[in-house]
Amino acid sequence: MTPRTVFVIARKELQDVLRDRRTLFFMMLLPIVVMPLLMLGISRFVMQQTVERRARVLPIAVDPAGQTALRALALSWWSAHKLALGVVEARMGVTAIGGFAGLGQLLQPDADTSPDEALVANMAQMLKAEHDLPPEERQLKQDAAALFDLLFRSEFIDPGSLPWGGELAQGVEIPSGLPPALADTRVALAVQEKRIAAALQLPTEALLTLEDAHESTPLHVLYDSSQSLSKEAFERIESFLGAVNRHALRVRLEAQSLPSDFAEPIRLVAANVATDSRKVQAFLGGLLPYMLFAFCFFGALYPALDVTAGEKERFTLETLLLGPVSRLDIALGKFLVVFVAALIAAMLTTTSMALTFTHGILPADLASTFQIEFQPLALLLTGSLVLPVAALYSALLLAVGLYARSFKEAQSYTVPLQFLLVLPMMVSLIPDVEAEAHLAWIPFVNISMLMKELLKGNYLWGFYAITLASTLLLTVAALAWAAWMFRRESVLLRS
Amino acid sequence: MPDPAPLVEARQLAKVYRGRRGKTVEAVRELTFAARAGEVFGLLGPNGAGKTTSLRMLSTVLAPTSGSATIAGHDVVSDPHAVRACIGFLSGNTGLYPRLSPREVLTYFGRLHLMTDEQIAARIELFAGLFGMHEFLDRRCDALSSGMRQKVNIARTALHDPRVLILDEPTVGLDVLASRSIVDFVRRCRDEGRCVLFSTHIMGEVARLCDRLAIIHLGRVQFLGTLDELRARAGADVEEAFVQVLEQAT
Repeated sequence: MTPRTVFVIARKELQDVLRDRRTLFFMMLLPIVVMPLLMLGISRFVMQQTVERRARVLPIAVDPAGQTALRALALSWWSAHKLALGVVEARMGVTAIGGFAGLGQLLQPDADTSPDEALVANMAQMLKAEHDLPPEERQLKQDAAALFDLLFRSEFIDPGSLPWGGELAQGVEIPSGLPPALADTRVALAVQEKRIAAALQLPTEALLTLEDAHESTPLHVLYDSSQSLSKEAFERIESFLGAVNRHALRVRLEAQSLPSDFAEPIRLVAANVATDSRKVQAFLGGLLPYMLFAFCFFGALYPALDVTAGEKERFTLETLLLGPVSRLDIALGKFLVVFVAALIAAMLTTTSMALTFTHGILPADLASTFQIEFQPLALLLTGSLVLPVAALYSALLLAVGLYARSFKEAQSYTVPLQFLLVLPMMVSLIPDVEAEAHLAWIPFVNISMLMKELLKGNYLWGFYAITLASTLLLTVAALAWAAWMFRRESVLLRS
Repeated sequence: MPDPAPLVEARQLAKVYRGRRGKTVEAVRELTFAARAGEVFGLLGPNGAGKTTSLRMLSTVLAPTSGSATIAGHDVVSDPHAVRACIGFLSGNTGLYPRLSPREVLTYFGRLHLMTDEQIAARIELFAGLFGMHEFLDRRCDALSSGMRQKVNIARTALHDPRVLILDEPTVGLDVLASRSIVDFVRRCRDEGRCVLFSTHIMGEVARLCDRLAIIHLGRVQFLGTLDELRARAGADVEEAFVQVLEQAT
């Protein structure tokens, strides 16, 4: 090997590939511009969808008696909790019109059927506001929000007004055990066709004596869990029922002179050692290996194919082979450039991901509260894994590019290679998979799992040693293979 | 004056390609010839005769299956580096790096030949003057005409001042003007005392350039001698003589 020659070849290749638009796109533009835009776009879209779904007025079929019963249940709950709500209100520092009193105003039996929009908007904002409340007060606020959501973000429709006709789609059936009002085909059809999000059948008679009774009364709901809005409606009903049940249970226990925790023999008191910052860090640690190596692969892809299959296609390879340079020097010179491209793509991806997270996806006030600081040792060890993988990708792509007759043929070979080399990195995205010892022997999966643990601050030294050693071994084998390919005349002159 | 020592010598050179299922193809069989300094030695033959394979073996791109060859005294198998350092190779389809300029291409190959940047700059200036390349020296190669590209290729072939030039059908696909620049280049090389191996199937070029020639067909040398000796076979017509040699071989 002649270092000067290797350097001359690497310098020329770098100069050449940096003028290739495809390389620049995959090495720089994709991580710097496209990826952040994509991440921001997707996260904003998901957030917007969630906000819109939660704010949406959902059509729910419930007969007029049932509608009255729902309102009565909510009013009863509010009457019992208005003092406690006042405390929460004070703690939240709410001075805007209404506060929780606004909820009471909305719930009054003589309230207008189409309530004041400003009041509804104010309530919605107040109930969603994030505040550091003690658990009991937080529960109270959540219950108030559940009542509000079902009553004021629903459009109640009388099932009797639903049209007749039509057939249920394949795979949709009316479940057994429903009361006759819900076992009606037109109700199921309305759910299926999204004309209503859910249908409710309330035991209005039983509800009148709910707080005095001793038994459980069924409340039937018909919905379609495969539709997001129907699922949202079901969740609203479930939360509403949770609030009502908590209140009714307390009244029943008081009537029996039993303490409020009588119905809860064991109370779970959980303490989580993970701070919010650590949770975000764990999430990033899971996402990073896949993103990092996917972009590392794409960063190496085009330069690797350009300096091999591209040279063949342009009839320049033979000229290079005729220079007074060894095949090993040529292989190393080309490898160096591809390796550098892969590393640049990896570095840009990491930086752009970090900036996107701290300055883009998370709201500014929230981002400043998270301390996303990886330990220097973790970053050092992570870096020690990036180097062999970038080298491994570069060597394999060089060998494949050299074997191919043309750029196009080389591209077709790289598709299965992507599945083989990048997809295993996705394992760190699966939340329940832990870094067990046997995973250290599975190439790429081990890197992905280890990186996730390192970024969480868990230093699994045995796992690290096996992973690094096996990856280095693979890298050396891939490099040897690439160098061997550069010595095979049947490969070099394959056309 | 005695003949100078041969710069190119091939002895019983053979190349066998092994295909799938043990199938073999004998591309070149027992090629033996010698070419000297100041001589243009032609390799003639129809398509598939084995000309390119022979030249690739002599230029160390392919390893011979048997036989031996030396270039300027260096063995093509045991000393390929030294061989490559003293040859310049050009073929009709030799490409250039499209995203680099001619100056950058020439500098790259000069550096591979361990020339200093000053030497490279001087040689580029020389060829730019000879071939009128000044106006496009810093333009990207993908913006050059085929004639301009061929001039750059010639400069690249001769940049390191090689003693032996191996030209494999260098005029294929070129127009008259570009072909003429190649022919002029070959003549200049001969006048400078270089040895030129020239493969072609254009009889006009053979008649104008070659001092001696070998006709290869079916992987074997069917004729080896001077142009006059070839002409003696079929009057003055080189093409007719060439066809006669091929017919006798088959």
